[in-house]
Amino acid sequence: MAESAITTRGLTKVFGKFKAVDGLNLDVKQGELFGLLGPNGAGKTTTVRMLCTLIEPTSGNATVAGYDLLREAAKVRREIGVVSEGVMLYKELTIEENLRFLSKLYNLPGGEAEKRIAHLLEMFRFEEKAKRMVKALSSGWTKKALICAALLHSPKILFLDEVTSGLDPQSAAALQDFTRNLCKEGVTVIWTTHYMTEPEKICDRVGIVYAGRLIQVGSPNELKNKVSELSVMEVETPGLTSRQIGKIKEIRDVCNISYNDPILRITCMHDHALAENVTRILLSEGAKIRSINTKGPSLEEAFIKLTGGEEEIDRFLEKARME
Amino acid sequence: MPAKAFLNDALAVMTNEFRLLRRNRTAILISLVILPLFFTVSLGGASGRSGESFSPIAHLTIAYVDNDVTIASGRLLSTLSSSGDFNNLVQGYSEDSAMATLGTGRIYAAIIVPKGFEENLAKNEQANLVVYVDDSLNGLGNQIAYSIQSSLQKFSPRAEIRPVTGGAQQIEIIQKGAKFSSFNIGLTIILALVIIFATFYEIAGGMSRESEDGTYARLLMTPTSLGAVVFGKTMYDLVLNAIRTLMVLGLAIFAYGARPSTDFGTILLISLLMALLTMGFGFLISAIGIGIRAVIIIEFFLVLFLFAFSGFVIDRELLRGVSNTISYMLPWAYGIELLKRTILIGQPLLTLTGQLEFVLASIVVFYGLAYFLLRLSRERLVR
Repeated sequence: MAESAITTRGLTKVFGKFKAVDGLNLDVKQGELFGLLGPNGAGKTTTVRMLCTLIEPTSGNATVAGYDLLREAAKVRREIGVVSEGVMLYKELTIEENLRFLSKLYNLPGGEAEKRIAHLLEMFRFEEKAKRMVKALSSGWTKKALICAALLHSPKILFLDEVTSGLDPQSAAALQDFTRNLCKEGVTVIWTTHYMTEPEKICDRVGIVYAGRLIQVGSPNELKNKVSELSVMEVETPGLTSRQIGKIKEIRDVCNISYNDPILRITCMHDHALAENVTRILLSEGAKIRSINTKGPSLEEAFIKLTGGEEEIDRFLEKARME
Repeated sequence: MPAKAFLNDALAVMTNEFRLLRRNRTAILISLVILPLFFTVSLGGASGRSGESFSPIAHLTIAYVDNDVTIASGRLLSTLSSSGDFNNLVQGYSEDSAMATLGTGRIYAAIIVPKGFEENLAKNEQANLVVYVDDSLNGLGNQIAYSIQSSLQKFSPRAEIRPVTGGAQQIEIIQKGAKFSSFNIGLTIILALVIIFATFYEIAGGMSRESEDGTYARLLMTPTSLGAVVFGKTMYDLVLNAIRTLMVLGLAIFAYGARPSTDFGTILLISLLMALLTMGFGFLISAIGIGIRAVIIIEFFLVLFLFAFSGFVIDRELLRGVSNTISYMLPWAYGIELLKRTILIGQPLLTLTGQLEFVLASIVVFYGLAYFLLRLSRERLVR
């Protein structure tokens, strides 16, 4: 297998008039945990589906696990595992039965298949749940079952598409740890998400996808450094009104504000006496200030800056909806 | 060895289908028990056992118009009266008054014995009987003709029913010597209905459910070929169809005394051909990427369409105009004809080459198109 686990050149997918993925050029190394980050509708899932051979690209080419995506689709499928919203298990069967069925389709020899199934069920601590029908499982356990199915044939590349959505924080964290360990074993993982905090925690590199285009690629730190002019301040100030928040927005160079009572998070392009200005306005508006912290930008802020701000994202999403 | 892998995959898909069926007791009950039982018992309840003294027309008032007034015509009257099929034969109508009364509900048919009836018989020439029927009762004409024919065979082998043209009423000649019971006629319809009803839903509905549930995408994510998936599902449904056919046949023969004029194997083979035909169509429809509700609606229209044009109710040969043209394009019509000709008159299957060729060609076309479209609509089916 080539050193690069996934290579795409000009990969494009058009649905009618809507260009879901636009000339994607991507190189993912073996054993890398690569994050595809972007808002809903940015083209992440379409990219994954193309790379999984579920849908055909409109143009461009790609190699996955060293095989040509179009000409050697069956070989590609042997080397990849997928956890994605639209790829499910049979609800009326137990997890064991699902895995046995899939092991036959992957042509795993009987003894090897049984060992592998037992290992996976033990690893995910299914125990007696392995005998339950999939439809009787909670969403967390269902997700684990889907991961078992994706890992059954020991794939070289694993696609985890929005895999933590619907999971509680503990399960999500456990899954992130598990994925990191998989990469240590040499498995390449493509982790797509719209949760901005996830790739920052676990990914070796992140590709920011927006409006079907890959805008930036780099490690989380590299991406954050690209927006080092950003300054972020967190103010603990309970019970702010929308009028008070509006006043803060009027401060020059403030590019983003979020308020999750009592934390007011302000992102500013340049730190032109931001703390003084915010304190002055809040106090003059009669707000209480408990604490003030200044930080570097998060990946989320970097993402917003790199994609042109929230308004631009909203415009894009609106356009996508219209189309 | 790609062929071995293909067969292994298809076998795995088939086994999985059976496992899924085992989990769904309602599906087993409906598909394998209720559906065949419902149709067979309904027909049995309505028409009775074959050879039973019950006659559906015995209670109807039928005019007997004797224009010959001879010993032969008198003997014919007593033959018909004692047959058990004509318990309400009334005399006193002229041919004109009988025809005027037909359609009012006072009489349902008129049997006319023309002048010269006895003379023709004596001269060893063909003697004709004219029968007028109230056509507002569907199927009455055939039933009366069949009953008269049965009686006439006891009376004189030369007597024959002649169709009347130019009037509102008309009766067809029933092939002389064909001794099929009314339950045999129903058996062909029941078999066709059960096969089409169940098979179409199992294939088109199953595929659409898999697409909606995301398990179709799961299958496509494995190295298995689409051909193996289609073949596995086909094998599964062929087994179910064999079970259903045997159930219908068993009930028809052992509970209702049907006596098919052909062997078990031939009926099974034709039913499997009909099933393959419907499966191919089911795969074709599923390639459109429709939901389960749409499948049910299409099934409803398919059955209604076939009822109208495939010889379920009116024989294909008797349809006129556009209906006739449509019926000649419908492969199911040829399948039903295969069932009728083998079950009713025992025609050897291999002599029905035209019908067989059409059915086989249609199976190939349906499957070919379905495979092509399933590949083409892969994106639509992966939701």
